[in-house]
Amino acid sequence: MNKIMYLEFERCIGCRSCQAACRECGDHDAKERNYVEYVDFMESRQTYPMLCMQCKDPACARVCPANAIQITEEGVVLSAMEEKCIGCRNCTFGCPFGIPKFDFEENKMYKCDMCYDRSKHDIAPMCASVCPSDAIRFIDYDEMQALRRKRTQMNLVEGKKPQEGNKWQYVPEFFGVYSD
Amino acid sequence: MSQYLVKDGVKNLIKPGEKLITTHCCYCGMQCGMHIRVNEKSGKVVGVEPRYDWPVTMGKMCPKGVTAYQTVEHKDRILKPLIKKNGTFVESSWEEALDLIEKNFKRLQAEYGKDSISVFGGVSMTNEKCYLVGKYARVALGTRYIDYNGRFCMSSAAGGALATLGIDRGSTLPWPELEHSDCFFIAGSNTAECHPTSIQWFWRAKDKGAKLIVADPRETPTARVADVHLDLKPGTDSALANGIMHILVKEGYVDEEYVKSRCNNYGELKDSIKHWTPDYTSQITGVAVEKIIKAAHIYGMSPRSVVMFARGVEQQSKGVDNVSLYTSMALLRGQIGKFASGVATFTGQGNGQGGREHGQKADLLPGYRKLTDPEAVKYISKVWGIEPKDMPKPGVSAYEMFDEIQKGSIRAMHVICSNPAVSAPNTEHIWAGFKKLDFLVVSDFFLSETAEFADVVLPTTTWAEDEGTTTNLEGRVIRIRKVCEPLGESKTDWEIMRDIAIRMGKGKHFPYQNAREIFEEFRVATKGGKADYYGITWERIDKEDGVFWPCPSEDHPGTPTMFKEKFGTPDGKANLAVVDWKEPGEYPTLEYPHILTTGRVVFHYLSGNQTRRVDFLMEQCPLPYAEMHPELASHYNLQNGDKVKLSTRRSHMTVDVKLTKAIRNDTVFVPYHWGKELAVNQLTNPCLDPTSRMPEFKVCAVKIEKV
Repeated sequence: MNKIMYLEFERCIGCRSCQAACRECGDHDAKERNYVEYVDFMESRQTYPMLCMQCKDPACARVCPANAIQITEEGVVLSAMEEKCIGCRNCTFGCPFGIPKFDFEENKMYKCDMCYDRSKHDIAPMCASVCPSDAIRFIDYDEMQALRRKRTQMNLVEGKKPQEGNKWQYVPEFFGVYSD
Repeated sequence: MSQYLVKDGVKNLIKPGEKLITTHCCYCGMQCGMHIRVNEKSGKVVGVEPRYDWPVTMGKMCPKGVTAYQTVEHKDRILKPLIKKNGTFVESSWEEALDLIEKNFKRLQAEYGKDSISVFGGVSMTNEKCYLVGKYARVALGTRYIDYNGRFCMSSAAGGALATLGIDRGSTLPWPELEHSDCFFIAGSNTAECHPTSIQWFWRAKDKGAKLIVADPRETPTARVADVHLDLKPGTDSALANGIMHILVKEGYVDEEYVKSRCNNYGELKDSIKHWTPDYTSQITGVAVEKIIKAAHIYGMSPRSVVMFARGVEQQSKGVDNVSLYTSMALLRGQIGKFASGVATFTGQGNGQGGREHGQKADLLPGYRKLTDPEAVKYISKVWGIEPKDMPKPGVSAYEMFDEIQKGSIRAMHVICSNPAVSAPNTEHIWAGFKKLDFLVVSDFFLSETAEFADVVLPTTTWAEDEGTTTNLEGRVIRIRKVCEPLGESKTDWEIMRDIAIRMGKGKHFPYQNAREIFEEFRVATKGGKADYYGITWERIDKEDGVFWPCPSEDHPGTPTMFKEKFGTPDGKANLAVVDWKEPGEYPTLEYPHILTTGRVVFHYLSGNQTRRVDFLMEQCPLPYAEMHPELASHYNLQNGDKVKLSTRRSHMTVDVKLTKAIRNDTVFVPYHWGKELAVNQLTNPCLDPTSRMPEFKVCAVKIEKV
């Protein structure tokens, strides 16, 4: 798998299709592993989706005392192995993105695994498949790089040139989730 | 014929023991392509898989679409006919239910005449069924009183398109072309929530630099990403359109050549928009002058533009005027009939396009033929095997049928695929009508608010248990496949209509064994009409990713782009709309000082009878609420979550307050997907458009009180 989960927050329309679709993934026990939040509903309807960043050195796995969170050879950070998880919930506190969740009935954690049963065959995860506005995409590394360059180009076409002190406004406001 | 369609190189996940069946979503007019996952052994529906290669939606789905399959084997499904005995529903056999219907229909018709029975149809079902509803009413029951829920949805768009362009096809261009447009002028549509999968096309164009102009009283998720958001006062669309056209003419943005050769009324139009200066337009619409000017310049300068609108402009007492004026904006720019440009309406219901063309409307016959045209009556009578003199005359519109009930001329009703107890305006009048009826039959697969009033409820199948065709919002005719066997004793709508027709002694006109047979008759019925489906076959739909009507013969390629050479009017020229702005039916007064507008949320579909039963969707949006600006709220000391009583001249209701600055400070918004005391349509104004008979859901005057 040489694919990237690619988020572009501005596009999010808040439909929560990604959450509904997450429940549909065969290995997800009808529980969603991502979330969508309003930035501040009082001010605007802007929402953003959040899913697992598949970190290279994941905090969730690091803080797991039982070594229950495995990383596949492609770099996908999986849910805790049932036989190892001791239900301490360290991972839910350790993750800076708030992704691992805890199932109190089953006494185990569960998290986004990029729909590993799909993505290992290069089929897009459910959230990226259904996202109506392409706020979540499952694309090649090269395509991601091209998209970043494109944004810079569009800024120039529209006559927006960064000045000293406001360069950050011209940085593409999206980022990729590297699985490799 | 294969049940699973996939193009070369496209991969789907097929789990062991499962198969995929290719179909489309049951909800809105986008008709998103999807595969339904079915367990091979049990035949049960187990989930959904994206259809990545459907050219209109590319596998995308909204949360309603993702969860649509959950309605099929839902625990609330009605599995046997229900008969009301002493105020409660009792399960019965089909025999008993049909006996009762036959007895009552025959008795009432003998006593009060043929027209004492009415049919209230809907367009969330296949073309085959929609076509049959018209035939069922006119041939099996012989009544003039038939109309359908498209009156609350699409009829203003139809009226406007007919008046200006001569043919009502929702979109004059195929949507994959939208990627190449330079500017979208979207009025009264929150497409990001109501047709979510359409948003991908706007982004594709935006990524290449296209501009987006959105006219909406709320800063919706669509308006949030617009280049110009025209935050107009509800009910002032025709003022805005006139104002924009004023600038187009003044600044020389009119395509004079196109207008001269292809449009009528240009001189009159110029006179009528003379006084719509940016200042005056701003005064009426409440939109800042500079925004109006900016929008007009962007729109005027764009070489390829699309004007789009939806219920926001259509559900007004001036809906037809609004549609005609917005369409005229596109005509002035010479955009209709060309690549990646034109006009389009966002069809609300799944088959809102196909369902309105084939005779469910009080005054229409299949193929968009007029019931008042003797030639049309002659042709359809021949197809149906009846005498032209036996063809009933035009009836009245959906809401007006309830006036006829009060007058006593309608004594019984058969509601098919609709829930007017929630979706009609001034619902208390509707409820009173249902109570007054001598006999009410409702066909549905869940016990809707309307079905609760019924004497007999007939269990129908869902979309996944029957096959047929629908027409999506582009005008593309597509295939719905049967995914599983009917649940319990439920029957398809066409079987129910056929069985009642047999009981009414008209069985020979309804000899159908499957949906395909209806389609074949329906093709012939549309032949030669404006909406000509004659050349469309189920095989062609599979092979060609759907076929666009008009398609008069099997070797005709279909018509993705309309009006390339001429318009559908008698002289082939488009009629520019020459109409001034008029006040909506109600405006703020001292007693009712604010404006109430209604609409949808992304999690629910129409009256909510289906989506309110899906867990995921109810978790996201369980109840209606009143959305208002904190500035308005502070006048009434209202905080987030407080209860507020909203009253109009019709009724009142109490809901929670939700504050946001993303709405005008004089407007309150309430979503309409709930029934009974939660129905905002208790409050809405049944002021009808003079042409389309569409009620004014989008504007009424409201009083606010803290509870």
